[in-house]
Amino acid sequence: MAESYRRSQWSNGLFILPYLSVFAVLLVFPLFWGAWLSLHKVDLFGPGRFVGLGNYTRVLADPVFLQALRNSIIFVLVSVPALVILGLFLALALNKTTRTTSFLRGLFFSSSVLSVTIVTLIWRFVFIPGDGLLAVISEQFGIQPVNFLSTSGWSLFSVGVATVWWCLGLPMMLFLAALQQIPNDLYEAAALDNASPWRVLTRVTLPSIARTIMLVTIIQIVMQFQLFGQAQIMTNGGPNGTSRPLVMYIYEVGFVRWDVGKAAAASEFLFLIILVAAMAQYVISSRKSEVSE
Amino acid sequence: MRRFLLSTAALIALTCATSAQAQTKIELQRFFGACDADYGKVTDVSKAVGECGIITSLINKFEADNPDIDVNVTTVEWPGYDQLNAQLASGAAPDVVSMHYSAISDYQSRGLIDPIDDVLSAQGISPDSFTDAARGGVTKEDHLFGLPFDNWTMLFHVNLNLMKQAGLVNADGTPILPTSAEELIAQGKQFKEKTGKPYLVQILANETAAYARVLYTLLQQQNADFFADPTKITLNTPEAKNVVELMKKIKDEGLTTTGLDYAASVTSFTNGDGGIAVNGTWLIGDFVAQSEKEGTALSGGYTVYPVPQLYPGRDSTYADGHSWVMPHKDRTPEQTEAIGKLFKFLAENDFQWARTGHLPAVKAVFAMPEFKALPHRENIAEIAETGRSLPGAVQRQFAIQDIIGEEVGAAVNGDKSIDEALGSAESRINDLLANI
Repeated sequence: MAESYRRSQWSNGLFILPYLSVFAVLLVFPLFWGAWLSLHKVDLFGPGRFVGLGNYTRVLADPVFLQALRNSIIFVLVSVPALVILGLFLALALNKTTRTTSFLRGLFFSSSVLSVTIVTLIWRFVFIPGDGLLAVISEQFGIQPVNFLSTSGWSLFSVGVATVWWCLGLPMMLFLAALQQIPNDLYEAAALDNASPWRVLTRVTLPSIARTIMLVTIIQIVMQFQLFGQAQIMTNGGPNGTSRPLVMYIYEVGFVRWDVGKAAAASEFLFLIILVAAMAQYVISSRKSEVSE
Repeated sequence: MRRFLLSTAALIALTCATSAQAQTKIELQRFFGACDADYGKVTDVSKAVGECGIITSLINKFEADNPDIDVNVTTVEWPGYDQLNAQLASGAAPDVVSMHYSAISDYQSRGLIDPIDDVLSAQGISPDSFTDAARGGVTKEDHLFGLPFDNWTMLFHVNLNLMKQAGLVNADGTPILPTSAEELIAQGKQFKEKTGKPYLVQILANETAAYARVLYTLLQQQNADFFADPTKITLNTPEAKNVVELMKKIKDEGLTTTGLDYAASVTSFTNGDGGIAVNGTWLIGDFVAQSEKEGTALSGGYTVYPVPQLYPGRDSTYADGHSWVMPHKDRTPEQTEAIGKLFKFLAENDFQWARTGHLPAVKAVFAMPEFKALPHRENIAEIAETGRSLPGAVQRQFAIQDIIGEEVGAAVNGDKSIDEALGSAESRINDLLANI
């Protein structure tokens, strides 16, 4: 270790320069630029004027922002457990090496490669009143069909269903990878002890993949706070803003109303939320590694 | 081998140079949809139907007539202003863009679009050749900031087959339309009772424009001056309450389709799911085409009228229009001339565009026998007199429309009280306008 340290040179850092420059230009610079914009009254087309924390005050006093924040939190609280539980369930069910399971893994992952436009188009066919799949099925059973995309509560739910269907592939694959890392002797020992399948799951499988469960949860929290395309295309945030997520609020304020300073201020709040989630992952993962040492 | 390579390279260079010299390229960005599969190669404009078909074949025809000009068309999702804003901010704006009259003041006030007076005069197009409404829509500070293309409003598209079934047709075959809010409810109930279907087919989901246009129209009919000050809206008024109460009653009594977005509402009307579609001028051509086909719900039974006068104040309909603007950017004189030629071609072919159902922007079209022969145009001719836009100085009209649509929609669907919705709309719009 000491030898290799002595032999290291500053010029070795050049290897990471390409990555570092792209990182600085596309991530670090916009981060500070966004913070600077949030302190100015500015539109998209020219210099603004400094307003201090005025944009932050306006954002916090805006009921539409608070509603969007609430929508995003509810969406994360419902969609993330669904993604984790369904992903884990599918991974457990498909953790075998047969042709059928290989085919099914590919099938369940295939939705993830679709673009948001295609995903929302498919789910629009399901939810739209009149000729939509659910409306037709409801009518067959003599039930009054629900206007899923234009009824408060149902609209965010519909966006959530489409999102879970779309994003399920990644959690499933991460869980599968983790499941395949569990040493087989643990299961053999459990079998010798005549452990029930439930006991094997709760005492062997789940503890072995606990860190992956945490990783998937954090990744999904970060991703689902950035919900935008599905809500914009399926419900346009309606009705009454009940399915408008934070990113859509930022988009509307910045690009439709040209109030870029206020949009940047709202973005800083979103950044803060995602930062907390990312820090939580860092703290939890480092604590675990200490325990294992 | 070397000689072969050199001659190939020379040939390629020569070809590129020739084509660069021969063709002036202009980037045109528009909404109106994409229909290249049907009209990508069509140059006979008279064969085209609907906004998309007609504008696509018009551009094809212009390119065929002007082989030295290459018009590169980009189609954007309606209304496309978010994309245009991003392009303007990054200095990558197209040369010509479709724009509503109601959006021009936003871009003109920030110097983002250029006046086109010189471009038009170089082609011998006089501003007087446009109708007052059209010229007024594109004129800011005494300059024309766009080529006016049409005027449009929301209309009552009527399925006469269902109206006959409901007993709402006069002896001369014209539909019986309401003359007051009370009559509208009564006729709606009669229609529903006789046909079992909703009276109105409205766009009540996933879109905000329809709510705002109906509100503006019915406020104008009550002489409500809700934008007396262009920087401040007044919506917490008895007139606005009347309108939203009426819209809510229509929904609560089951007299309208619910939950339909724009596309679904158009399909619903052509499937015969309701009596009257409250939708724009641009659908007349498509609906006439449906009514001329055998076996459709509209076969031999379609007509169209302006939104009826429901309040005693005055006959009025909210109107807007489409134009072609030139974003501010550096262009070669050849490009500017090519745009001028395109504008001249579009103005000369305004009749073809008027076949969509829009009212022509060019005065002379009204006198053309071909225009007079278009179906149902006499029914809606009065719009030239009764169509009214918002005051030209009102900025962010699309953002205002979104807020109104969201709040009025909430009241109509029972998610908020009417007073709460109107109060919230007023304060949100005034906050928006105060922070421009």
